[in-house]
Amino acid sequence: MKHSYSSVDKSRLLRDVIRSLLLHRVWFFIGIQDVKHRYRRSFIGPLWILINLGVYVGAIGFVYGVMFGQDLKAFLPYLMLGFVAWGLISASMVDAGMVFVSAEGYIKQFPYPKQIYILRALVSSSMNFVMGLAAVAIVQIFLGTFEVTGWLLAIPGLLLLYIALLGHTTIFSYLGTAFRDLPHALAGVLQVVFYLTPIVVPASVLKNHGLEFVYLLNPIYHLIEVVRNPILTGSLAPLSTYGFVFGYILIVYCIAWYVASRLDKKVVFLL
Amino acid sequence: MTQNFIRLQNVGVRFTGDMNTDGLIGWLARKRSGESAPGAYTVEALNDVTIAIEQGERVGLIGLNGAGKSTLLKVMAGIYMPTSGIAETEGHVCPMFEFATGFEMHQTGRDNIRIRGLLLGMTPDEIEAKLPEIEEFTELGEFLKYPVRTYSAGMFIRLAFAVSTSINPEILLIDEVMGAGDIRFAKKAKNRMFEFMEQGKILVFSSHNFDLLKSFCARTIWLEKGRIIMDGGTEDVIAKYESSQR
Repeated sequence: MKHSYSSVDKSRLLRDVIRSLLLHRVWFFIGIQDVKHRYRRSFIGPLWILINLGVYVGAIGFVYGVMFGQDLKAFLPYLMLGFVAWGLISASMVDAGMVFVSAEGYIKQFPYPKQIYILRALVSSSMNFVMGLAAVAIVQIFLGTFEVTGWLLAIPGLLLLYIALLGHTTIFSYLGTAFRDLPHALAGVLQVVFYLTPIVVPASVLKNHGLEFVYLLNPIYHLIEVVRNPILTGSLAPLSTYGFVFGYILIVYCIAWYVASRLDKKVVFLL
Repeated sequence: MTQNFIRLQNVGVRFTGDMNTDGLIGWLARKRSGESAPGAYTVEALNDVTIAIEQGERVGLIGLNGAGKSTLLKVMAGIYMPTSGIAETEGHVCPMFEFATGFEMHQTGRDNIRIRGLLLGMTPDEIEAKLPEIEEFTELGEFLKYPVRTYSAGMFIRLAFAVSTSINPEILLIDEVMGAGDIRFAKKAKNRMFEFMEQGKILVFSSHNFDLLKSFCARTIWLEKGRIIMDGGTEDVIAKYESSQR
C-alpha cells in the first residue's frame, strides 16, 4: 500500500475516492453502528420509524386526502414514499454538514481517506428509508395494490437516487465543514422546498391549478419520482424525468468534484 | 516483498486560520469597542523538510513543544497533506497519536475496539480472532460491555493502546505516548510497546525521553520551528540539542 502525497498531485483525490469505495467493510460497519446507537436504550428501537411514519401518514393522509379529493388507496402509499424519500434527500444536504465534524477524532488520527465518512453517513441515514420502503410494501399488500414489476422497475430509480445522494453528501460535507452556517441556512430553505415539492400535495393538483412549473424544475421532485412512480403505477417514470435526473447528477458531480478538490486537503485543518 | 520507505522532499505545511470564529456577537462587540478585527493567521508548521527513511530504520524526533514533531508524523501518515513538496510513504502505516480521542462515546468498549481495529486496517475476521487477547490486555473486564462514556481517562488509554498494539505494523509512527495509564499498566504497556516497536519495519517516534531514544534509535532528527536543525546519530544529536537548551 503506497501513499504518495504531493502538493501538486492531481490524481490523489481520485485514488482516495476509489480506495474509499473499496473500504466498504469499514464505512458499512461504522454506519450500522451509528444506527444501532440511535436506538440503544430505546425500548422498541427502530420500530419508532414505523410508528412515526404511521402517525404522519394517518393524520396527514386522511386530512389532505379528503381535502384534495384523493383516493386514499393510492394516496397513502404516495405520501409514504414521498415522505421517506424526502427524509433521505434532506439528510444528504443538512446532516451532511456534520459528516467530517463528527468524525474529527478519526480523521485526525487514522490515515484512511476522508470519503469513507461520507459513505458512512449515507449508510446510517438509509435506515429510515429502508424501513419506510418495507412499510410501503406492507401497506400495498394490505390494500391489494402491490405489484412486483413496479418494485423491480424502481431499481434503476433507486440507483440514480443513491448516486445523486452521494454527490449531495459530498458537496455539503465539505462546504458544511468550511462554512458552519450552511447547515442551518439549508434547513430553513429545505423547509420551504418541502412544501413546494409534491410530497403532501399530489402533483396532479398543482397541475390543475397551472402550477406545473413549481415541480417540473425541481430536481428533488424528479429524484423522488424515479422511485415513487414505478412503485405506484407499475411502469417506469416518464423518460423526461430520467433525463432530468441524469442531467442533475452530472451537474452535481461536477460541483462535488470541484468542491472536493478545493477543500479536501484543508478539511483536517478546519476541524 | 516490497521495501517500505518514507520519503519527504522539500515538504512544507502551512495552515491558515481565521481568528473571527466568535460569530456575529463577537463581530458586534468588536465594532462597538472599535477594536480592529484580528483577521487571519498563518502557521508555518513545517518548512522545507527533506528526509529519507528506509526499511529497517528507527528514527527519533526531538524538539521543543510546537517544533513540528506531531505535524511531521501526521504528514508521514498521510493525515496532513503537504502544502508544498512531495511526501511518499510505502507500507501500511500504524499511527499512534492520540489515545484520548476517536471514540464513539455511546457505544460499548467492545464495539469501539472493533471500530478502531477497522480504522487501523484490520479485517473483521482478524479483529474477532484477536478480540479475546485485546480484551485481556485492557484488563477492563466487565467495563467492556459498558458505553465508553463511563470510562475514565486511563481506561480510554488502555483500550486504545491495546487495539493499536495488536496489529502487525509495517510503519509505526508514535507520538509521545509512553506514559500510558497507571503504574501497573504503564509497566505492562512499556513491555508491549518495546515488543511492538521491534516488529515495525520502520519506526519513527517523538519523545522527550533521551534514554529511550538512545536505546531504540540509531538516528535522530532535531526539529525547531518546523525546520530540521540536525539529522544524524542519536548520541550526537542529543548532545547538541541538550547543550543548545542550556
